[in-house]
Amino acid sequence: MMGPWRYWRLKTKLLFLTLFTSALGIALVCAALIFVENQNYREQLNSIISSLDHIEIIQQACIYDQQGNVMASLASLDKRECPPVNRQLDIGFVEEVYRLLMPVTLDNETVGQLFLTSHLEVLYGHIRTFVFLATGIGAVILVALVFLALKLQRIVSEPILTLSQTAERIAQDHDYSIRAPVSGTDELGRLGHAFNEMIGTIQQQNRRIVDSRNSLERTVEARTSELSMANRELEAFSYSVSHDLRQPLRAVEGFGQALEEDCGEQLNETGKDYLRRIRAASVRMAGLIDGLLILSRVSRQPIESQTIDLSQLLQEITDELKDIGDDVPSEVHIQQGIEVVGDSRMLRVAFQNLLANAWKYSAHEEERVIEVSARKKGRWIAIEVTDNGVGFDMRYIDKLFVAFNRLHTPSEFGGTGIGLATVYRVVRRHHGEISATSKVGEGASFVVKLPVLGDGD
Amino acid sequence: MDGHSILVVEDNPDDQVLAVRALKSASESSPVIVLEDGQAALDFLFGNNSSQPCKNLDSLGVVLLDVKLPRVGGLEVLKCIRSSPLTNWLPVVMVTSSDEPADLLEAYRLGANSFITKPINYREFTEQMTLLARYWLVVNKVPKTGAVRSY
Repeated sequence: MMGPWRYWRLKTKLLFLTLFTSALGIALVCAALIFVENQNYREQLNSIISSLDHIEIIQQACIYDQQGNVMASLASLDKRECPPVNRQLDIGFVEEVYRLLMPVTLDNETVGQLFLTSHLEVLYGHIRTFVFLATGIGAVILVALVFLALKLQRIVSEPILTLSQTAERIAQDHDYSIRAPVSGTDELGRLGHAFNEMIGTIQQQNRRIVDSRNSLERTVEARTSELSMANRELEAFSYSVSHDLRQPLRAVEGFGQALEEDCGEQLNETGKDYLRRIRAASVRMAGLIDGLLILSRVSRQPIESQTIDLSQLLQEITDELKDIGDDVPSEVHIQQGIEVVGDSRMLRVAFQNLLANAWKYSAHEEERVIEVSARKKGRWIAIEVTDNGVGFDMRYIDKLFVAFNRLHTPSEFGGTGIGLATVYRVVRRHHGEISATSKVGEGASFVVKLPVLGDGD
Repeated sequence: MDGHSILVVEDNPDDQVLAVRALKSASESSPVIVLEDGQAALDFLFGNNSSQPCKNLDSLGVVLLDVKLPRVGGLEVLKCIRSSPLTNWLPVVMVTSSDEPADLLEAYRLGANSFITKPINYREFTEQMTLLARYWLVVNKVPKTGAVRSY
């Protein structure tokens, strides 16, 4: 439906449509009536003229004198009597006929009366023709108007229909490259433009989302491959550390021992002392390597969660400590029935470190007392390990769980500085927390909080 | 001690010297054969002919096999030893520097008789070697290679 009207406003179009169809309807009806009336008039003229010849429409005619006596009468078929005129006569339309009574005047003087009765057939015929024609013409005009209105309404409805079909197709196919055809600059045209612009924006945004998702995927892929490469390297590194770094230490320690055994007599006391120090240093270094390996292992190994009888595990660790032993009388109280969920190897490493620390730092006491207790608090279980050892200065709490930081000199207490860092790593990997409190000379207390459900990574 | 020999497959010269010293102090009479890598060990065990038992096998009591060896690794040598009917009876003790759990599992899966980690402390190492020589050369019995040949 192209045409100059596509630049009209929608309001104008609707107004035009309504006015145009109604006006056209009225005009057509008027034209039809004028034509019919014109025809009728011609027929009437004809009929008047012919009525003079065809008197049969007059049913009865009577002429009365002044006194009402019938002076003359004419009657068609039914030979009806003239009605007495002095009686009140019904005139006008009576039943199937039209009656007329009029005075007969001569020189302004009434000399008698004329009575006429006429058929109504002609009148009925006219009315029938008129009704028939009007209905017919009206129906034809109505059909024509409906057809026209249908044609014209497309001007308004077509763009809406196209727009809605486009919207449906886009919604169905998710194809945002589809555009609605837009014609004209009316409200619908503007709507179409706005719709297309909106779809364009969505398409652009979709493209941007896809682009950024792709780039994100690429980044994640790259990072993952970097990470797994780093992991592999780390694994190879710690494998190499565990094999290759140890070997020279074994050589240092072994040949030191061999030297002492085979050539001991040739060394003086100072020489033997140096040799002992060399061997002790290599043993310490081996301890450091072991600690680092354990730390790296608890960092990279996957967690295999299971329910663990922690009380029993702690008892085993305590027995091992007692076996290595020292001369300090020791009391270790472990609360029975402590159950946690986590990786048993890692938790063993963690609590081995905590108990070994408690053991080590209480070695200078007259009697060693170590206590392990647990209590549940909501989703958490808190396990507390306390000792009556030397404790530490709370000023340095920040350094406690950092690898290679020590709060005691090697001459006071030996150690690698890796143990608590390992404990911290294990606890963090179990999504737990660790805290410590102490006073110098009054022992230390470590609290490990683990989630009850054990949602380790 | 029975005259059975010990085969030590060890690539590091320091460890070779220390191992031989420890084994000698444990069992003076047992000859110790030292080889530097896995390929040399396979050549020694199988010789040129893979269908005939090598005469080197005749007096062999135990093999101490380092896990980490250049070219052909210790676990690979173990696999070859176990897959040949000529050598699958041979007691093999895997020796390693680290207690890497994966190596431990793999060694037993492939049929190692024993798995030990070399301690840093040489005195402990000597004790280990003494125990080892006593068990595998004195206590343990292996079939004569002639008996192996007959089936």
